[in-house]
Amino acid sequence: MTKIDPETRIPDPIELDRIEEDRLRAVAGLAPMRSPGGEYAGFDQVGIPDRPPQTEREREIYAIEEGEMLINMGPQHPSTHGVMRLLVKVRGEIVVDIDPVLGYLHRGIEKLCENATYTTVLTYVDPMDYLSTMHNEHAPAIAFEKLYGVRPPKRAEYIRALVVELNRVFSHGLMMGFLALDMGGLTPILYAFINRDEIVDLLSAISGQRMLFNFFRVGGVNFDTNDEFLSRLGTWRSNVMKNIEMNERMITDNEIFRARTIDMGTLSGQDAISLGVTGPNLRASGVPFDVRRAHPYSIYNELEFDVITQPGGDSYARYLQRIAEIKQSIHLIDQIIDKMPHGPVQAQVPGIIRPKPGRAYAAIESPRGLYSVYAISDGGPNPYRFRMRDPSFISLQAMPKLMPGRLVADTMAIMASLDPVMGGVDK
Amino acid sequence: MDFDLLLGVGRFLLATTLLLLLTVPTAFIIIQMEMKIIAQMNLRFGPNRIGPRGIFQSTIHGFKVLAKEDTVPDQADRSTFTLAPWMVYMAAAMSMLVIPFAPGAIAADLNIGIVYFFAVLGLSVVGLLVAGWASYNKYSLLGGLRSAAQMVSYEIPLTLSIVGAVVLAGTLSFSELIAWQLEHGWLLVWQPIGLGIFYVSSLAEVNRTPFDMVEADSELVAGPFTEYSGMRFGFFFFAEYVALFIMSGILVSLFFGGWLAPWPFPAQLGGFGGTLYGAFWFFLKTYIFVFIAVWLRATLPRVRVDQLMGMAWKVLLPLALVNLFITAIAVVVFDL
Repeated sequence: MTKIDPETRIPDPIELDRIEEDRLRAVAGLAPMRSPGGEYAGFDQVGIPDRPPQTEREREIYAIEEGEMLINMGPQHPSTHGVMRLLVKVRGEIVVDIDPVLGYLHRGIEKLCENATYTTVLTYVDPMDYLSTMHNEHAPAIAFEKLYGVRPPKRAEYIRALVVELNRVFSHGLMMGFLALDMGGLTPILYAFINRDEIVDLLSAISGQRMLFNFFRVGGVNFDTNDEFLSRLGTWRSNVMKNIEMNERMITDNEIFRARTIDMGTLSGQDAISLGVTGPNLRASGVPFDVRRAHPYSIYNELEFDVITQPGGDSYARYLQRIAEIKQSIHLIDQIIDKMPHGPVQAQVPGIIRPKPGRAYAAIESPRGLYSVYAISDGGPNPYRFRMRDPSFISLQAMPKLMPGRLVADTMAIMASLDPVMGGVDK
Repeated sequence: MDFDLLLGVGRFLLATTLLLLLTVPTAFIIIQMEMKIIAQMNLRFGPNRIGPRGIFQSTIHGFKVLAKEDTVPDQADRSTFTLAPWMVYMAAAMSMLVIPFAPGAIAADLNIGIVYFFAVLGLSVVGLLVAGWASYNKYSLLGGLRSAAQMVSYEIPLTLSIVGAVVLAGTLSFSELIAWQLEHGWLLVWQPIGLGIFYVSSLAEVNRTPFDMVEADSELVAGPFTEYSGMRFGFFFFAEYVALFIMSGILVSLFFGGWLAPWPFPAQLGGFGGTLYGAFWFFLKTYIFVFIAVWLRATLPRVRVDQLMGMAWKVLLPLALVNLFITAIAVVVFDL
């Protein structure tokens, strides 16, 4: 290695930060970060960044007392639901503190969308929350329709509601499986994937894609229903309750499952509201907030459904909430099929949409909570600003509140009960 | 040289070689069962490429493990790291010495066979603890400590649960225990509580679901085995599956009559044919319990580490003591 002259070397950004912080600390009359005698103590310790803590939170989590140790769970860990790093401070097996470290799956989707035309934005948002792709497309579609001032035809609205409810069924179904998998149950996840596969086949019959459906358009949907879709839908509808109940029988009354989820990770309604948690996690804490009811969009004010809540707020309540919502979704699907009108599925919109300057906000109820889009138009063919609120990102905030005092084994079980999808968190 | 001594050495070499050789197909069969049965329960096909219906899949896995690179982490304690798989494997293989496969087919028919068995099988915890410590990995360390806590705790109800059977039969030798069962009926009838405690504790002792705390893959990646690769990893897995076989075999010998055939069949035959006949029933019954263990793995989630320990000390241990108390009184009162 070439030797660097310490006098002429350009300091790296972190070192510059450190110098700047020391300067500010000197102004405030505090001692410098580095101890006067030598280097910062963390330099020699494994698992601690080789720089002084930059924030109060960093100082707190990296301060290790006697008998404690830091474990990095992830990004390469079997059950972190994608690529997330949990910095866990443990005392023996008991979790003292936990710090989720995000960003390992960041793809800059918001920026990509700002450089895409309004039509192509709907393809970019697909891989965000990859278990609720239809919902990802629904919110921007509504926002852009508000911006452009176009309303989709009635039949398109019904087809949209149908596909998003189908998507919700498989997303909640997978959560049941993942929760069991993170406790060591091998089978429920495979049953859940069998259910998912049926729905995905169904949706691929209408959209042509199996995972990133790219089905929504500004002012409508891509395709009308076809014979294959409808016949598969009938088959699926006649089997779905049986399949869900088969999986439920393995989990719901299982003694071990109950012992590991009841009173585990209890989130009170007040805490959930102040953290901004939405969706099934919030309703499992007893707060009856559902975007479909509170701020009806699409055709939800024409349909009849219940906003179900659970009193518990623990992992088991969150699991029961998912099952109840699957049943509600199937109830909604029945109504949608009954009421679906005839007509076109796409409003007249030009190939390249140039909305008038303005701003629009659209919120929908995704399987993980309130998923919303805020779009600003400057009159050009692409959005000036495109901002997405992903509910799993907000749900993860609850983790440092739920986990301290629990065991290492519970971290994964509690995290699975919050049902985050890293694709959506990191965007 | 003394002819008897020579005969003894020859017999010892033959028995140990045969038992060590037996571990290989046993592990392969159980791994294959695990892959295929869990696949069927999950509504999957499972392995179906190598051999008819994929029956050579686990053999290929064995060879693959042999061919893989054997890595040692930089900071690991090299000597103990290398020794740990050995200790675990030898504990399992050595305890096979006293298993009564068939009349006349016991490698060492010790008069304290039961004591020997639990003493030797308990050694594997040392290997797991050493593996966890030597790997220089936090997951390994947690797994190793869990294994120490779990296996040491469960050895107590495990051992106590069979004291009732020992008191009834009045012997510590496996072959005499089976002879007693031939006369009085299987111990299953005499010791149902003991059987229940033994079964639960034996699952915990060999780290099977729902008690597979040691290598809890969704929490600790692979527990003490995280840093192992190649054949060292293979030895751990061989040991685990062999231990499952041994535990099922001991369960069968203690409570289900060992090599004795069930009711409509003649319980025992003489001569070499009788040995084969006994071995058939022994392996059949043993593999039924192996199947049940695999079945449990496909069905149940894992209990948490504190619930596991609580069950050993708060439920199983008192229950085992009560069982022993009742058995002892019954033996005295009814002069069994």
